[in-house]
Amino acid sequence: MLEVKDLHVSVEGKKILKGLSLTINAGEVHAIMGPNGAGKSTLSNVIAGRDGYEITSGTITYKGDDLLEMSPEERAWAGVFLAFQYPVEIPGVNNTYLLKAGVNAKRKHQGLEELDAFDFMKTVKEKAKLVELDPSFLSRSVNEGFSGGEKKRNEIFQMAVLDPALALLDETDSGLDIDALRIVAGGVNKLRSKDKAIVMITHYQRLLDYIEPDFVHVLADGVIQKTGDKSLAVALEEHGYDWVKENK
Amino acid sequence: MSVLAQTRQDALNLFEKLGLPTQRDEDWKYTDASRLKDLLQPTPTDANIHIKDMGITGLDAYRMVFINGLFAEAESNLPEGVSILSLAELEKNSVGEDAEGIAKLFTVDTQAPLLNGFNAFNAAKASDGAVIILADNAILTKPLYILHISNQSNVVRHSFMIGKHAEAQVIEHFISTDDTKALSNTCSFVALKAEARLEHTRIQQEGSKQSHVARVQVKQCKGSSYQFHGVEIGGILSRTDLVVNLHGEGASCDLNGLFVLGGRQHVDHHTRIDHKAPHCTSRELYRTVLDGRSHGVFNGKVMVHEDAIKTDSNMSNGNILLSKHAEIDTKPELEIYNDDVKCAHGATIGQLDDKQLFYLRSRGISAETAQELLTFAFADEVLVAMSNQTVRSYVEKAAFAKLPHSDDLEEMLGS
Repeated sequence: MLEVKDLHVSVEGKKILKGLSLTINAGEVHAIMGPNGAGKSTLSNVIAGRDGYEITSGTITYKGDDLLEMSPEERAWAGVFLAFQYPVEIPGVNNTYLLKAGVNAKRKHQGLEELDAFDFMKTVKEKAKLVELDPSFLSRSVNEGFSGGEKKRNEIFQMAVLDPALALLDETDSGLDIDALRIVAGGVNKLRSKDKAIVMITHYQRLLDYIEPDFVHVLADGVIQKTGDKSLAVALEEHGYDWVKENK
Repeated sequence: MSVLAQTRQDALNLFEKLGLPTQRDEDWKYTDASRLKDLLQPTPTDANIHIKDMGITGLDAYRMVFINGLFAEAESNLPEGVSILSLAELEKNSVGEDAEGIAKLFTVDTQAPLLNGFNAFNAAKASDGAVIILADNAILTKPLYILHISNQSNVVRHSFMIGKHAEAQVIEHFISTDDTKALSNTCSFVALKAEARLEHTRIQQEGSKQSHVARVQVKQCKGSSYQFHGVEIGGILSRTDLVVNLHGEGASCDLNGLFVLGGRQHVDHHTRIDHKAPHCTSRELYRTVLDGRSHGVFNGKVMVHEDAIKTDSNMSNGNILLSKHAEIDTKPELEIYNDDVKCAHGATIGQLDDKQLFYLRSRGISAETAQELLTFAFADEVLVAMSNQTVRSYVEKAAFAKLPHSDDLEEMLGS
């Protein structure tokens, strides 16, 4: 589904990713772990199409297409979704209508009819239940006045409604207490399927207790240092990132 | 000469002395009043205007219609038991002691800030206006909607006197029937007695060649509350002087302004708030969205006088330029003559927030739509304080229609 090859990325002249390669197939759940400043968020932002990153070499192919040639909205239409580490507040823009416009833009792109208001609301209510999001949040402005945990929950709710093929979760676990983490993880698990892939970016093994990954990658100094299964995350927790660098 | 005629004559003399402001005058630096010289004289005739379906439809309100500056009683619907009167009627029927009281409605306060020749001309030549006298403790159960329809130059003069603990909502709406080159010269005088409350909306939506000069002057007694919403959508040149005197302890004002302009529209608001008593609060939020070659001017001055301890004042002005040919001149000013105050002011000029744009696009909203949506949301924040939802939706729609690509957006707007 996603093929990242020898990716080099700089931000304001500083090299962040230095030849990163990664293959993600449908049905898989990947965890990318690593210390602060390793380039984890850079990777997710580059995949989602954010400005301000200079791609000096390498390729990203998504379902056979050159992802780097696509605008952020084209990536969304093609099924890429980023759950932000710091979701921005957008006063005056209604949460539900944002989603409706997003869903319908995607359907239009796929040559489908727009969803009628009734069907859309039905989906929205279902998915809100999935992440135990209070229905009052639906009529509020996007993230405005939400607590940190509510923002993260809203991201997973949006993901559930937009139904992406490739979901990137950028430190979705940070700022969540244990109950919220369980709910969010439950929501993510319900979205797992054989034609979807999930990439979780996280500092801690904690999230992986709830969402079991097929692969764990350690990202440090701009490249994947080591890849393993779930036990790698446990070892990391025990020994720290230096251990990985020493035992490549 | 009667006292009333004398007052009008004094105003005319004052106008002749003052003349029209020029751009050498600091307060008129950016606005060229000389363009309006030939449009000053009112020609108040009933110009065979059919007003059916004009203005804000579906508004549950009392209604007062002025056609080219003259009260159209047949088109109006006023409450019983409340004094809402025509200034022209009052003037016509005034005798003896009454006349002195009515003369006061035409008296020009030469000491008031931002006074100019247009205001003196208004006192001299006003053809009509609304006079609201709300008794102590009275509550106007529905808003009063004052609809001004014109296709010629007109001069109107309103006075809203709100008694102790009384409450009212007044909406002034200015529209034209065609694109005649003309000038509306309007004044609204507001007097709020102790603990009185007024929500006052002005929507300038006149024709594309019409100009508009307004003065809104407010005097607030103890504990009174004044809320203003000024919306500028129409016209070619529009200038408003908004002058608020926080005269009694604990009074508060909340001034909101929104300009959505394009083409060669020019809109200038000068606001002046005088904190004269202790424990008063003032809030001011002005936002502009400027496209084409439009030009916005905002000058907000807050003056905190010596005795006005515990003043709490906050002013903010935000501007978005959608075109490189649009221009904004903004100047928030603060003058403080005592130490015991909490005051803040600021202005921003800018483009849209990149993070918000990216967020929307990552959810599948096209770049163009995302820009529109954020622009609208930016403007709409000023309208949040508007209590009447029918008026707010009307303004949203009208403002919204002026944005370049508004097709897909309508549904997305939050409530």
